[in-house]
Parts: sequence; C-alpha cells; structure tokens
Amino acid sequence: MNSHASTLKNITKSLFNLSAIALVSLSMSTAQADETCLSPYMPKIKGQEDFVYIWTLGVEGLGDEQDKMVTVDVNPKSNQYGKVINSLSVGGRNEAHHSDFTDDRQYLWASGLDTNKIFIFDVHTDPAKPTLQKTITDFVAKSGGIVGPHSTYALPGRIVITGLSNNKDHGGRTALVEYTNDGEYIATHWMPTDGDLQGAIKTGKYADGYGYDVRVLPNSNVMLSSSFTGWSNYMMDFGKMLADPEAMKRFGNTVVQWDLHTKQPKKVFDVPGAPLEIRCAWETGHNYCFTTTALTSKIWLLYEDNKGEWQAKDVADIGEPSKIPLPVDISIQSNDKILWVNTFMDGKSRAFDISDPFKPHQVFEQKIGAQLNMVSSSWDGQRIYYTSSLLANWDKKGADNEQFFKAFHWDGKKLTQDFAIDFTKEKLGRAHQMRFGAYSLYPSKAADVSSNAAPKS
Amino acid sequence: MLTLALLSSISFQLIASESIQKMEQPALAAGYGELAFTAPKAGTYQLPSLGLAADGKVVNSDNQNLSLYDLVGDKFILLSFIYATCSDVNGCPLATMVLHKIKARLQKEPELTKSLRLITLSFNPDYDTPEVMRHYGESLQGSGVEWQFLTTRSELELAPILKHYPQNIQKAYDAKGQFTGSFSHNLRVYLIDKNKQIRNIYSVSFLHPDTLINDVKTLLAEQQPKSLALTQSPKSSIDNARLYSAGDNKEHYEQENYQTQSISLSERKGQALDLLAATQHLQLGLPTLPVPANNPLTAAKISLGRKLFYDRRLSFNNTVSCALCHIPEQGFTSNELMTSVGVEGRSVRRNAPTIYNVAYAQKLFHDGRETSLEQQVWGPLLAHNEMANPSIAYELDKIKQLSDYKGLFEIAFHRPASMETLGMALASYQRTLNSADSPFDRWRFGKQVNAINVSAQRGYQLFIGKAACASCHSLNNQSALFTDQLLHNTGIGYDQAMSTVPEITSVQIAPGIFTKVSTATTQSIAETKVSDLGLYEITQNPAHRWSYKTPTLRNIALTAPYMHNGSLAQLRDVVDFYNKGGVSNENLDPLIKPLHLDTQEQNDLVSFLQTLTGSNTQALIKDAFAAPIGDSE
Repeated sequence: MNSHASTLKNITKSLFNLSAIALVSLSMSTAQADETCLSPYMPKIKGQEDFVYIWTLGVEGLGDEQDKMVTVDVNPKSNQYGKVINSLSVGGRNEAHHSDFTDDRQYLWASGLDTNKIFIFDVHTDPAKPTLQKTITDFVAKSGGIVGPHSTYALPGRIVITGLSNNKDHGGRTALVEYTNDGEYIATHWMPTDGDLQGAIKTGKYADGYGYDVRVLPNSNVMLSSSFTGWSNYMMDFGKMLADPEAMKRFGNTVVQWDLHTKQPKKVFDVPGAPLEIRCAWETGHNYCFTTTALTSKIWLLYEDNKGEWQAKDVADIGEPSKIPLPVDISIQSNDKILWVNTFMDGKSRAFDISDPFKPHQVFEQKIGAQLNMVSSSWDGQRIYYTSSLLANWDKKGADNEQFFKAFHWDGKKLTQDFAIDFTKEKLGRAHQMRFGAYSLYPSKAADVSSNAAPKS
Repeated sequence: MLTLALLSSISFQLIASESIQKMEQPALAAGYGELAFTAPKAGTYQLPSLGLAADGKVVNSDNQNLSLYDLVGDKFILLSFIYATCSDVNGCPLATMVLHKIKARLQKEPELTKSLRLITLSFNPDYDTPEVMRHYGESLQGSGVEWQFLTTRSELELAPILKHYPQNIQKAYDAKGQFTGSFSHNLRVYLIDKNKQIRNIYSVSFLHPDTLINDVKTLLAEQQPKSLALTQSPKSSIDNARLYSAGDNKEHYEQENYQTQSISLSERKGQALDLLAATQHLQLGLPTLPVPANNPLTAAKISLGRKLFYDRRLSFNNTVSCALCHIPEQGFTSNELMTSVGVEGRSVRRNAPTIYNVAYAQKLFHDGRETSLEQQVWGPLLAHNEMANPSIAYELDKIKQLSDYKGLFEIAFHRPASMETLGMALASYQRTLNSADSPFDRWRFGKQVNAINVSAQRGYQLFIGKAACASCHSLNNQSALFTDQLLHNTGIGYDQAMSTVPEITSVQIAPGIFTKVSTATTQSIAETKVSDLGLYEITQNPAHRWSYKTPTLRNIALTAPYMHNGSLAQLRDVVDFYNKGGVSNENLDPLIKPLHLDTQEQNDLVSFLQTLTGSNTQALIKDAFAAPIGDSE
C-alpha cells in the first residue's frame, strides 16, 4: 500500500504542479451508479428526471398501428408536465419490449422480440426529442441464429443483449450476444445446456439453456442471466398457451452465473417457474441480486455466501402463488430497502421490505390498473412510474386491456397518483418499457435549457 | 495545499471507507488495491475483437508529430485517455496508477515487457502540451515497459480520435458559462492487439493490473497454438442419435425429479444428402414416388426448394419459415405446440402436419382442400395467420431482390421466380422427404421375422383385425401408406366445438408443479377461439362437419402431438380415444366404434405404431441441419 500511495503522490504531484485549476466536484466525473435498474457503468440522474421514454407496441386498428418511442414530460416544473411531447414511429410491429442505454447514455437501444430489429435512438442531441440513429436488421444472421433480443445492457463500450429464442425451432435455447456501442456484432455466448455446459457447474437438476434478463455486479466479477421462454410461447395468445400442456413445459427454470470478465458460464442454478427481471443491490458489500419467478410467484435471492460462492435461494412468496398473480417487473430502491414487485393478473404493485434480503416481507400493496407490467423508480425512490403492457398477445382482452402510463409519488407509506396517460385514447398503443431522460446528463444541454426554460404556468 | 487535501482524503478513505460513503465521496476503485475476486487465468478465455483501432495525428512528449499507427501494430497496446489536471481519484489518476503498477510488475517478465507498450493520450490539447505531458510522465518513466505520453496539436486533430474511441467527454462550465478546466467523461482504457484490433475496453471496475496483465497474456497465448485447447470446452457426451432429435427434451417434466437433457444448438452438425439420388431408390414399404409430369425432380429444383423451405424471409416480417412449423428434428412437425403459431404470434387452428412422405398425399391440409404440393405452398405463404404475405407479387418481388437467390430460379427452371416456379421448387424439396424401410417394413415386406418384437406383431394383427385401424390407415401387400386418402369424422372436432369448457383446468407451471386455473381467468387473457368445422368449410355440406383427412402413420412416433388439433399428447392417448369409439355425434363415421381392446392389446397397438419410423430420418435431419437458414441481412 505504501508504494501505491507514493506513486499516487507522484501522479497527483505532477498533476498539481502543472496547474492551479481548482479541484472540481467529484460528481462531475465518472458516475458509477444509476436509476435503480440501470447498468452500474452508466451516469445517473440524481435529481428530477425530465422525461420518460416509453417503448410502445403498435396495435392493429389503433392510430398508426406501429411501434413507437413515446416521450412524456415528467418534470413538474415544465409547462408540458404530464403530456406526451414526442412520438417517433419506427415502422411495423416488432413486439417492442425492452430498451436501455449505452454506458455513456448517449443512445437508447430498443429491441423487438418478434422481428429481432434493434432501434438505436439518439437521446443526447435533444433529450426531449429522441431521433432514430440506426436500425440493426441483421441481428439473427450476425449472432448465429439468436432470436428475440431482450435486455440491451451496457458494459464499457459495448452492449450485452440477451436472446430469448433461436431460428432453428423458435424454442427457448438461446444465447447472450455482444455488440459494440457502434452497433457492430462482437460475439455470441450460448447459454449452458446439458449437452455443452461450457465448464459451468450444474448445481441442480436443470440446465435448459434459456435466457431473459442480465445484470452485473462488477466488483464481484459476476454476471447473472435469467430464463423465460421461446418465440412460440411469448408470441402466442396467452389463453391458447395455458391450454397447451406441451407449450407450458417450455419455460426456463434456471439462473446462470457468469464470469463477467470472460463471459464464461460458471454455475447454473435451479430457479423453477420462469425467473424474469434481475435487480442487484447497490451498496458496497451488498453482493446480491433478486429475481422473481413469473409462474411460481416467488422472490429468489442470488447471493455470494461467506465463502465467496454464489447461491440461489427462494426467500418469499408473492401474493398467493396458487392463483398465479404473475409477477412481472420489479424495481429495487437505491438504498436496497424496498423491492417493488408488480403482478400482472391482479394489476397490483407490491412493496417488499428487503432490509434483510433473506427475509423479504410485503409492507404495501395497491391496485394500479386492470393489468400491470413495468415499474420504474427514480433514484431517490420518490417517483414511481407504471405501464400496463406485458406482451401483445398476453395482455388482457376486452375492457381489462387498459393501456396506460401512470406517474405516482411515494412517501414511504403510500402511493399518490400524479397523472395518468391513456395510451389507447391517445392512439399510441401498448405502453411497455420506461427509461428516463434528463437535461442534467448532458451539461451543454442543461445550460441551453436553463436559459430558455419556460416556467410551469 | 490541494495536493495535501487530495492525499489526505484518499488515505482517509483507505482507512474508513464507510464514513467516506456517508460523506458522499466515492470509495477508491479496485485498481488502487486488491481485486475482490481472482482475475480469470490467462489463456483460459477469449477476448473477441471489438473492431479496428483507429489512427490519428498525435504528438509525443518530445514534440514530434506521429500517427497513432506509428505506435500500434508491433506490440500489444494499453491506450489510456486522460487529461493532466484531472482530479477525480477514480478517473485519470486511476488509469495512470494502474499502468504504472503494470510497468512495475512486468519488470521480471521480459517477454511481456518487450511485447507491450503503454500509451497515455491527453484529450485536453489546449492545456496538455507536449511539455506538460513530458512533465506528467517523467516520474513514471524508467526501465521496463515502454510508456508513451501523447497529446494532439489541437481539438480539431483530437476530434476524429475521440470519435473512434468514444468516451463522451464534455467540458464542464460554471454558472457564468466559463470552462472550468475540468471534463465530465467516462474513464476508458483500450487493449489493442498487433492486428490493430481493440480487444477490451476497461472502465473503473476492471481497471486493475491483475485483469489487464492476464488479458495481455491471453492475447500472447493466442500466438501459441497449444494454449487454444485450454479455451475449448469439453464436448458433449450425448450420443449421435440424440443430436438429431428434438434438443429441448422435456420428457418426465410432469415429475418433480425431472432433469433437463438439453442439447446445445451450437453442437448441431449438418451433412448434406444427395436428395435426388435418394428419391431414385425405392424405399422398402413405399410405392413408386408420384412425380407430376410437368415438374420432374432435378437437383437444382430440390436445392432451391430446400433453401426456400428454411428461409424465414419468406414470411412478411422475416420471422417464420416453413421449417419453423415443420421442424425437421421434431418429425417435420412441431412436438412443442398443439396448434401452430404464425406471424406476429397469430393463432393457427390446427396442428402442423408432418411433411414426411407428403409426396404421396392426394389431399393436402387437414381439410383436404388442396391436391397438389405446387399449389398448396401458397396457402401458408398468403394466410394472414401464417406467413402473412400481402400478395403473390410482394413475395415474388422480395425473393427476386435477395442477392442470394440471384440466378437460382433461372438455373432450375430457365425462367424467373413466379407463382408457378416457387411452388414447383418447394414441392420438389418436399417430395424428397420420404421415409420408410422401417422395422415394420423389414418385417412385413422384407420378411425379416425378428425385425419387430412379438408385441408389435400382435399389434399389427389388431391393426388389421379387431381394431380395424387399417380400414382407414390402409396398406396392401406391396406397400403401406397407412391412409385411405379420405376424410372422416372421428368426433374429435365435434368434441372441441360442442363440449362445454370445464370451469377449472390444471396448468403446469414448473417441473412437477401444477396449479388450478379458472376458466374466467383463462378467458380474461384468451382471444376468442375461431371455430374449426373441417371439410364442411370447403363443401358447406352439413354432413361434412368435423371431417378431417386420414394422416399417414409413418414416423408416427416422431410426430406428437396427435389429431388435427394436437389435442392428444401420446400414441397411447390416441389408441384410447379410438378404443372408446371416438366421440359420438350425428356425423360420426360408422367405422369409428368402441373396440373393446384390453390393456395388453392397447399396448401392443402402440408397440406396432412405434415400429413405423423410417431408417433414413437421421440422414434427412442431418441434411436439414446443413441447409442455410435465410435471415434478414
């Protein structure tokens, strides 16, 4: 340590001998955390977000029928607060699903689970009005047959994309695919199967090779992936699938631990019943993540034990599992105290106290709508946003097919609705993934806006 | 004073990181201390190329103009971007510190020392002159790894470099709009190989001497062929036959002790077959192959048809090929769905029929509405809930514009793609997917007395006798197609249309775990089901309600689930259905009646049905695996 300190002294000495420029705020430099579900490599919005970008599915017979990136102004100080301020149609219905930023937060990658297109939006030139920069149309061909690009998760200078399916049988066996931030294909990392575990340890009974979400804990060199189902199922009518016993056998039952640095699978854990979203704790030393199983309605903890080994454990039920409430999106508070869990079938958002990650217990629930999918929290946990759509053919039918974006604030005890936008009435479509934008991420833009900002009337 | 302040802050953090967190200052990055994990062993992993490292005009600390490429290509490079006045302890100083540690560590590794060059490049040319960079680096120089401290002449010359090594560098301005001298930026260090390829990009978390040195050693190991073996995973122990069966095996999924037996798709190995030659050899048990006089088989047509069959671009939105419902390793049907799923997930009412031996079918589709393969192919291509092409012209124009089809129709047909030639090509390929010479054929027609077991032999006697299956699934003394080429009402369609839906159904949610789901719940998420009236839909004759085609039974063990709606999962379920006399309704075919088979007899029938798998199925599947899959470029 002494020799390191002495080198650092030399570096800083040469640094300060050369310049009299004042020490600037550390927060101006590389930030390592973000709104609660984003990659740790990304700059974050610490204060009030200005925009929510909503990746929206087109609906036959509604408006222009195609997928679109919808921008809603969510800054209470804006005179456009609570309004749709931009809608960018991308052509076709692609089964718009998830979106996420590059690590520099300059671009938003939004993927289509059906057509395998990846739409890359410029969100930095004008954060109020994303523009389509590039569309990747050859994802399947480039990746060696991976279908259903899902999570687009930022690593330094690159994006890791989880697949859900493949072009051979449209089943669940799939891979992780890496792209550069420029949209160039890098590599395909197949999920471990019994046929080729790739050196991973099958800790239980399953190694199905399925994929869904991905998250990383860089300080532990850990990447975790979850598992859902293949194209045939996620594209099929929900009711038809429930009535098809063979189809119901095609769900993922695994979480895979990867070596983040080498992208090699290390362990395959049994997590039965379709583990979907993964959210990792933020605080230093909190080496654990959560996932929830859609079909079996449980919270699972993925954690590093005191021997440095990663383990998986089911730690709580969500609602009454026998009724299949269908937990979908989850969101962890940045202080690692609360995990929000949405359940699609009953339209409820539930808060679990996860202060003890081994003993989550529900402390709050509220019905948000007839159906409910995504939940996104501001970094300070005070603003919670919801959308309605799960998958085009899984959403409820008839009057229960509510399509909305709703903004709430959370005071630690109750949720109070600030505003709601009816996506059907606005002729937009099915509201799905949300990501935040803010002028504060782009210092030069922030300066522009502060001089022109119109006060809220 | 500032130096002292920074250093004291750092040492304080080293001692009491928790307190520091409360003061909202960052903990020191791993690069300053020990990694929290063991760096992956060099040479055991791969570092895929992230693209070409760009060139650019730079200046070294001796004020000499250089191109970046003067310094890239002969050695491995660690390229760090900094600005000299950067004060973020986990920013530029971290990068410089880590490079310094690497240089120190490699003093005892001469091979690495001579193979590596460190480059520190400023992105603040206005302040970081060559002289400044010389000062910046002078205490860090010395023997060992070469370390270059570079800058650029101007922001104009820097800009193209930053464009190619993106790191979102933004000048920070104060409230008066004055440049503060600091930058907001992502920390970036690049590892570049001797082919000028970027092989890794490091930010704070992985910027550590352990990981960087092992990455450099991994690149070095690439030059030594022996080490490649280390990076190859142990290969499958799965036997060859399983590699050509459905790879996502869910057998016994209903049991709690279910274990996966999944096969990796990356292990699939195809082997092309001479399909034309195969058709010229009569397989035991099959009659002469019927080929229309106006569409004789040729190698070019078969090859083109095979390419089309596996091409996902044949569907409107490039997602569904013929082969995604008629999946080769799933019996050229889908074992995983009762009824098919089309473009945008649209529901198809019926089970995908197998393509095996379809050349012999006189009627096509479950309702028998087409009679030639050449015409049949346009049904799925144009159906809104299958491949969803809006018109014939759209489909043909699309294919004509695909570069990989250039000239193929002309070679096969001496004319371009048309409604007729597309059908002829697809029909030609399908006409080669014939499969017989099964154990049954060798027993029945080849006179090999032990080709099938005694149970199967008893099953055959039931098949042609007491159970009267052969009344519809007919055969003769020379060959067996196991179909009368007619349509019958067995009651299964009637049952689906007319029976009441149970209020509660059992749904499997995980291996060995089932739950009860109410009809109300299912209906809240289910589209309205479209009726299926069978042959009646074609003839409008009420007597033809719920009549469907007699399918061949060849390869029946490979083509579950069964019946036109896929409603019966196993062969035993089918036998049980017929043993009960189907489902009574006014149009029930008189041939369908209770069979009074005991358990043994039913088992024997199943044994017989399992002897109908052809000897060449693996060869046909291998050939299918060798076919190109057309995807959007």
